[in-house]
Amino acid sequence: MRVKIELGDVTPHNIKQLKRLNQVVFPVSYNDKFYKDVLEAGELAKLAYYNDIVVGAVCCRIDTSENQRKLYIMTLGCLAPYRRQGIGTKMLEHIMNFVQKDGNFDNIFLHVQVNNESAIEFYKKFGFEIVETKEHYYKRIEPADAHVLQKNLKKSAEPVHEDVRKKNRNERVNGVKESEP
Amino acid sequence: MYIFQKCYEHKQYKNGLKFAKQILSNPKFHEHGETLVMKGLILNCLGRKEEAYEHVKRGLRNDLQSHVCWHVYGLLQRSDKNYDEAITCYKNALKRDRDNIQILRDLSLLQIQMRDLEGYRCSVLEAKGELFLALGRTSDAAKIYRELLQRNPENRSYYGALEKALQPSTVDERLRIYQEIREKFPKAILPQRIPLDFLSGKQFEQAVDAYLQVSLTKGVPPLFVDLKPLFKDKEKVQAIERLVMGYCDSLKQTGKFHDTEDSPVQPASSLLWVYYFLAQLFDYLSQSTKALHYIDAAIEHTPTLIELFVVKGKIYKHARDLTSAYKCLEEAQGLDTADRYVNSKCAKYMLRAGLIKEAEEICSKFTREGVPAMENLNEMQCMWFQNECAQAYRKLAKYGEALKKCHEIDRVLLQILPSCFNIGGLVKECYISFGQHFSEILEDQFDFHTYCLRKLTLRSYVGLLRLEDVLRSHEFYFRAARCAIEVYLHLHDHPLTEENGIDRIDLVVYKRAFA
Repeated sequence: MRVKIELGDVTPHNIKQLKRLNQVVFPVSYNDKFYKDVLEAGELAKLAYYNDIVVGAVCCRIDTSENQRKLYIMTLGCLAPYRRQGIGTKMLEHIMNFVQKDGNFDNIFLHVQVNNESAIEFYKKFGFEIVETKEHYYKRIEPADAHVLQKNLKKSAEPVHEDVRKKNRNERVNGVKESEP
Repeated sequence: MYIFQKCYEHKQYKNGLKFAKQILSNPKFHEHGETLVMKGLILNCLGRKEEAYEHVKRGLRNDLQSHVCWHVYGLLQRSDKNYDEAITCYKNALKRDRDNIQILRDLSLLQIQMRDLEGYRCSVLEAKGELFLALGRTSDAAKIYRELLQRNPENRSYYGALEKALQPSTVDERLRIYQEIREKFPKAILPQRIPLDFLSGKQFEQAVDAYLQVSLTKGVPPLFVDLKPLFKDKEKVQAIERLVMGYCDSLKQTGKFHDTEDSPVQPASSLLWVYYFLAQLFDYLSQSTKALHYIDAAIEHTPTLIELFVVKGKIYKHARDLTSAYKCLEEAQGLDTADRYVNSKCAKYMLRAGLIKEAEEICSKFTREGVPAMENLNEMQCMWFQNECAQAYRKLAKYGEALKKCHEIDRVLLQILPSCFNIGGLVKECYISFGQHFSEILEDQFDFHTYCLRKLTLRSYVGLLRLEDVLRSHEFYFRAARCAIEVYLHLHDHPLTEENGIDRIDLVVYKRAFA
C-alpha cells in the first residue's frame, strides 16, 4: 500500500495540532508569539500529513540581519514513529522550492543541538554546512551548544549599502533570466 | 454568465450578443469557452446556424472541462433533432456537474423521447427487481440485481435481494455469490464485509483476518463500528480479539501484521489504528482499564490524532467519569475547531457533566453570530441539544428550566401533561411563546400539499405524509416527554417551598402549575 504524504496550511482552527506536535518533538517550548507569527507565515509554515494524519510540521521566518535576506528554519520536525519515511524531505523541499521561486534569498540557516547527529546528517544531504558553533545557545537543555547549519544560495559578496545590494540583486536576477533559453 | 442566461431565457438576444462582444473584445478573454458557446446558442436562436456551430465548437474546444459548454452543445444538437448526440453531450456535461438539475431534466426528456428507459432511472430497475421477486420469477430478479450491483457494488439491499433470488442452500453457495462479485470489483467493501455475518469457525477467522488487515493498513476510523454487529457472537469477538492482539505484538517487533515472509511491511500508522481498535474493543467489553491502556498507547504514538481523544472521552463516559470524559472531548475540539461533529459531541459531553453554560459557549462557535446560541439552537430546531439540556437542568434540580427546554420541543407536553397530573393548564401561559418544534412540523405540513403536487415530487410527498402520521413516535419527542414527566412527577411528590433553596424562576413556574 502506498503511503500518502501531503502538506497543508496552518490555520487558527488547527494550530493546536501544531502546538501538540512541537511539544512532543522538540525539547524547547515555544511561546504564544511564535504561534501568532506562524499564522501569518503563509507558505513558510506547513503541517505534514501522513495518510491524512498530522505527523510533522515546518515553521520558518525571513531574517534580514547582517544586511542579508535569509530564510531561518525555526522548527522542522516529525513524530518519532513516522521518521525516515520522506516526511522531512517533503517539508524541506517545499521550503527550498519557495526560496528558489522567490530568488532573492542569500541563504537558508537553522540551529541544531550539537549532539543531534541524525538532523545534521539530514541537512548535509541537502547541501547544508556547519558554519558556526554557538556555545550556551540553549538555556534549559543539555548539551546547550548549537551548530549553525547553513546553505548558501548566492555566490557573490554582499554589498554594504542596502540600496546598492538591492540593485545588484536585481541585476543578478535579470542576468540569470537573460541567459535562459 | 448569469447575465447571459437571463438574456437567453428572456429572449433578449440582441443584448446577449452585446454582452458577448464586450467580454470577447477583452484580449484576456477573447477565446473564453463559456462565452463563445453562449454566443453560439444565441446565434442559433437567431437562425444563424452555421455561425452558431462554429462558435459552440470553438468554445467547447477551449474549455472541455466546462459543463456549460457541453450542455450548450447538447442543446444545439437537440434543436437539430440529433437526439442521440444530444444525449451524449448531456452525459458529458453531467460528468462535470453531477447534480445539475437543469441538465438532468433536459437529459431525462431526451431519454423518454428516445424510449431509453434503461438509462432513465435506476429506480425503474429496482422496482422491476422487487416485482420479479414478488412474482417468484427468481432468475429474472437475479439478473436485475446483478445488473444493479454492476452499477453500485456498495448497496447492501441489492445483496439481500440477490440472495433471495438465488436461494443458496449452503454456506459455500452463499459465499460464492460474494466471491463472484469480488472478482469483478476487488476493491468493493461490501462483498468482503457481508460474508463475515454468516461465516463461522476457521472460514470466519480467515475472512476477518484479511478484512481487518486491509482496513487497518488503510486507516478506516469506523472499522470498529462496522464490525460491531458481529460481536453478538462470542466466538467472533474472541477471534477478533486474538487476531488484533497478535497484530499488535507482531507490529511492534517486525512492523508486519504476521511474522511471516509474505506479510508486507506496514506503514507506521497501522500500529496506531491497531491500538485505536483495541481501545474500542475493550471499552465495548467493559474492560475500561485495558481500554485506557491502549488509547494512551495510541496517544503516545500519535498525539495529533483527534479521533483518539474522542474515544478516550467515550471510555470515561462508559466508566461514568463524566468530568474526565468532557475534558477529553474539549481537547479533541481544540485540535480542530472547524470540526462540527466533534464540536457537537463536546457540547453533549459538557451537558452530561452538568456544564450548561460551557456547552452553550462551545455551540456558539457554529451558531449565528449576534444571537445568543440558545436562541439560535431553538430556532434551528436543534433538538438533541435541547433534550440534553433539559436532562442537565433536571439533574441540577432546576425544574423550571428543564420544563422550558422540554416545551421548546413540543408544546403538547405542556398542554396535555400537566392536566394528566392534575396540575392544571396554568404552566401553559409561561411558555406558549417557545419553539414547539413537533407541533410546528405538523402544521408546516400544510404548505406541502400544494407545493409537492405542483412540483410533482410525489415520492417525497408520500414519504412526508407517512412521516407526519407517526411524527410523535420520534425518539426526540419520546425523550422530551419522558424528561417532562419525570419533572412533573418529582414536583408532585416533592412540593416546593420558598425555603428549600430552589431558584426563583422555578418557584414562579411551580406556583403557576400548582396554584
